[in-house]
Amino acid sequence: MIARHVVRTTPWVTLIAGCLTGTALLAAAAYAAATQHWALNQDAVRLAFLPVIAALAFVPRDPFRPMAQTAPTSAWLTSAGQILLTLPVVAVTCLAQLRLMDYTIARLSRGTTAHAPAIYPLIAQLAGWCALTLAAAACCDRSRYANLTGAVAGPVSFVIFALARYAPRIDRLFDAPPGTAHAVTAAWYIVAATATALLVAALRDRWQRYARKLRLVSRPR
Amino acid sequence: MTADAATRAGDASGPVLTATRRTSQMRIVLGLARAEAPLLFRSVLVLAGMLAGGVLVWNLTRSAEPLWWNTAWQIGEGQAILASTVLIAAQLAAGRARRDGLGELYDSFPVSAATRTAAHLTSLIGAAAVSVLFIGGAAAWVQIRGGVGTPSAGVLVGGVLLVVAAGAAGIALGARLPHPLAGVLAAVVVFALFLESYRFPGAIPWLFPWTISGQFGALYAPLTNYPPGGAHALELAGIAIGIAAIAIALTSDRAPHRLWLAVAGVLSVALVATGVAAQLRPIPTTELNRLFRAEARPSVVQHCTTASDVRYCLYPGFASQLSALEKPVNNVISRLPARPAHALTVAQAMLVSPGDSLLTHGHGRQQLARWNAEANAAPANAPAASTIYLIVGIWPAGAALADARLAVALGAAEWAVNLPPSAIGFASSGASCVPDDQAREAIAIWLAITATHVHTALQLRVGPHGTLGGPTSEVGHKMIFNWTYPGEFQGYISSGPQLTANGYLLAAKMAALPAAKVARVLDSAWPTWLNWRTTDAQLARALGIRAPDITVPAPPKKPRPGVTFVEPTGPIPVTPICAS
Repeated sequence: MIARHVVRTTPWVTLIAGCLTGTALLAAAAYAAATQHWALNQDAVRLAFLPVIAALAFVPRDPFRPMAQTAPTSAWLTSAGQILLTLPVVAVTCLAQLRLMDYTIARLSRGTTAHAPAIYPLIAQLAGWCALTLAAAACCDRSRYANLTGAVAGPVSFVIFALARYAPRIDRLFDAPPGTAHAVTAAWYIVAATATALLVAALRDRWQRYARKLRLVSRPR
Repeated sequence: MTADAATRAGDASGPVLTATRRTSQMRIVLGLARAEAPLLFRSVLVLAGMLAGGVLVWNLTRSAEPLWWNTAWQIGEGQAILASTVLIAAQLAAGRARRDGLGELYDSFPVSAATRTAAHLTSLIGAAAVSVLFIGGAAAWVQIRGGVGTPSAGVLVGGVLLVVAAGAAGIALGARLPHPLAGVLAAVVVFALFLESYRFPGAIPWLFPWTISGQFGALYAPLTNYPPGGAHALELAGIAIGIAAIAIALTSDRAPHRLWLAVAGVLSVALVATGVAAQLRPIPTTELNRLFRAEARPSVVQHCTTASDVRYCLYPGFASQLSALEKPVNNVISRLPARPAHALTVAQAMLVSPGDSLLTHGHGRQQLARWNAEANAAPANAPAASTIYLIVGIWPAGAALADARLAVALGAAEWAVNLPPSAIGFASSGASCVPDDQAREAIAIWLAITATHVHTALQLRVGPHGTLGGPTSEVGHKMIFNWTYPGEFQGYISSGPQLTANGYLLAAKMAALPAAKVARVLDSAWPTWLNWRTTDAQLARALGIRAPDITVPAPPKKPRPGVTFVEPTGPIPVTPICAS
């Protein structure tokens, strides 16, 4: 019964729209690249992943959470289930986008010994970005601004990601170059692990959003 | 009786009622717009977009001297970010009622959905005001930094129209798709179109909402119809009107609106078609002839002045650079015991490539080949011992001016000690000689340092075992450390020989000595010091100091565990010694 509820409340349309938009943009760019003899770079994949991140920000949303907390099952099950269901979709989208980039690079470097840059730091970056977005969305969902979950979590994670990549000094930790590929990968997986811990804590949080207000109202004068 | 019914019945009060209704509708539209516009103006998203756009414009314009025909487009690039956020904010505003489940309540109001959409469209004045503020701030920043030329009104208005068109797109989207993701996705699409626009050949980039400026910054002045600011503004105005008409059409089911919508549609198509046609038109051959002639023979258009027997030739509009050039050159000359026989010229040069199809689209191959030949014959492409070239669009503004002054002083000092130049530009192979262990190199660096009072840092770094690391050159059979002076990679002036770390270290020691003592030693045997065979050690001995001698350590014969030596596939380039 819970599984059916989880599947039904997962924002599939939002998620798939985000994934398809990003991939369609990248496919159009890949087509242009193939005809104009240039190759997509990792920045193109990051840009194409932006719609996916924007969609992911709307995933951990359980409008019936206050009621679910009164049920005998764990209240976090719905949000956790939604996240678990969306992860394969995001992973497939990521794979498709990386394949598109790889296709244009392979086409351009045919007959040469040129190699594409390592993609494991990029995968770590995208994983960290996803985890940050989900953590921000889950935290927002447990606050009094739950109605704005996606609208807040998306920009917040985008700003954090942009700061990590472009802010002076910080970029040495989170972007290669100037950082080394191994160090950047490790840094982003640490970010992903920390964000996942925050996400779990937020999902398990039992705070009632309107409790403080109700307490104020019911306080005897 | 409704106004329509009255009109149909031929009632004399019909036109009055219709006029009254129209007036009240207008009042409602203005009232709603007055409420929505401030919301849009102070929307966190819009303000964040303005901030992000401002950061982009600052980043694009902070290093080089701002040339208005380039900077106006760069301000538009910042507006592209603002437009993306305005699109999201407008979509959120237009979809608010449906998103909050208030659609039925709103339908019960006496005001139609089309009127509300018109009000939302009118409220874009708020976004336009943010855009105008953005332009004002950016223009003030550019003027403070000494902008060259005057801004094109067409380009700046185009930026505002871009923001308004994006807002109208957000409202049209919000009228049908209230989910916030729809606005975000549309904004990403708009932003991606802007980012990738420059990749397309010919004049196609102009058809995108905004494009990244290409060689605008390399021009000494704007050309006719390039950049085509007015035509692009016309295209954006047409797009804005068309999208606004679509937004009203999506929410209106009234017959009288259709006529107005059709008129708006026709107007939109006409404006877009006119703008596109003007932008796709090739730049007139006479204009490009003038441009490449100014590149190949700058003296045709440049204004030259002579001060202290040094000739300064600058393109019209760049006279403000003169004082920044004269001071370091005069300071170097004042320290010379004797001047070279050939006079020094400091001249601007333009490096515009005819291969840029945005510039030369629509012209035949023969014509292109002619322009290519002219561009390759530009004086900046040939080494000249007595001329320092400054490349248009690279000269800095702000804090980096100190580095540029050092570069000019170094150029003048290299001329003074007869160090040969190195070529720059398209026809150059980039080869430069190394004055290794030559006293005149240290003298040139000393002259530049003392003329500009710049405390330079030796750009060498210490390796893991206390050894020096950094850029090296192979001269003869030995490797030597190079000295990269601050701003060398920016290419403020035509490059000279590759200077060495030993030369810099000796010059730094000379700078620490009393200036009179150094001047006395240089005066005593100036022709000897200028001889390329006179070594650093001889100069150091005359000055009573020790000559520095840092060499690149020989590589280990066996690699460390985990390290593989890769044999070079071709011959290693050997840099020649400056022997003239």
